[in-house]
Amino acid sequence: MIEIGRLCIKTAGRDAGLRCVIVDILDNKFVLIDGETRRRKCNILHLEPLKDVIKIKKNASHDEIKKEFEKLGLKARDTKPKQKTQKPVKQKKKEKPAEGQKKKKEAKKKPVKKEESGESGIDEKISAEEKKDKPKKPGRKAKK
Amino acid sequence: MPQPYKRSRSLRRVHIRVPGGKTKLHYRKRKPGKAHCSSCGAVLKGVLRERPNKMSSIPKTKKRPERPYAGSLCSKCMRLLIIGKARSL
Repeated sequence: MIEIGRLCIKTAGRDAGLRCVIVDILDNKFVLIDGETRRRKCNILHLEPLKDVIKIKKNASHDEIKKEFEKLGLKARDTKPKQKTQKPVKQKKKEKPAEGQKKKKEAKKKPVKKEESGESGIDEKISAEEKKDKPKKPGRKAKK
Repeated sequence: MPQPYKRSRSLRRVHIRVPGGKTKLHYRKRKPGKAHCSSCGAVLKGVLRERPNKMSSIPKTKKRPERPYAGSLCSKCMRLLIIGKARSL
């Protein structure tokens, strides 16, 4: 009774009562099934074979079985493969450098504005140094 | 004498340690009975036993197994039923 293309009803687990086709015989105990159920390995004891046999190749793909099931008036189950996402870890790493970059950009922008106002190069350097010193001092005071 | 409803055993008793260090008797309502298979009468495994207010806050998948007829039939009776249906086709 157990052969490739045999229609079965699954009798155990969350897919119990749903129809499936044997796609491959793995062992004297286990077969690969697909159809209304999930595409998965299954024990022969958990299957109840029916009279009908479908013509399919060994290891037929899910799309082929889906077409065959549509001819019988059954809907094959589509499983959505899970996408591996490690976003939360990456985001944290990205956020920290992003904040640092923002600070650097702000620091760069300020001297540029001053360049426009004061044209001479020496003045810019002096002004930049002064500005560097200025923010540090109030910061220390604030900490105290 | 304690109040009459505390003298009957309709409420279950819980010994609770109070912040002051003493143990006190608290009275709580009993849990509902265990679920049984409707065809063979066996006790159903994996079916939660809680008061309705707690049951409403628990997800459905934690209250019973995830298979057809779960919570009313045991796995053996469910399998026999499905096999019977398949053979009658």
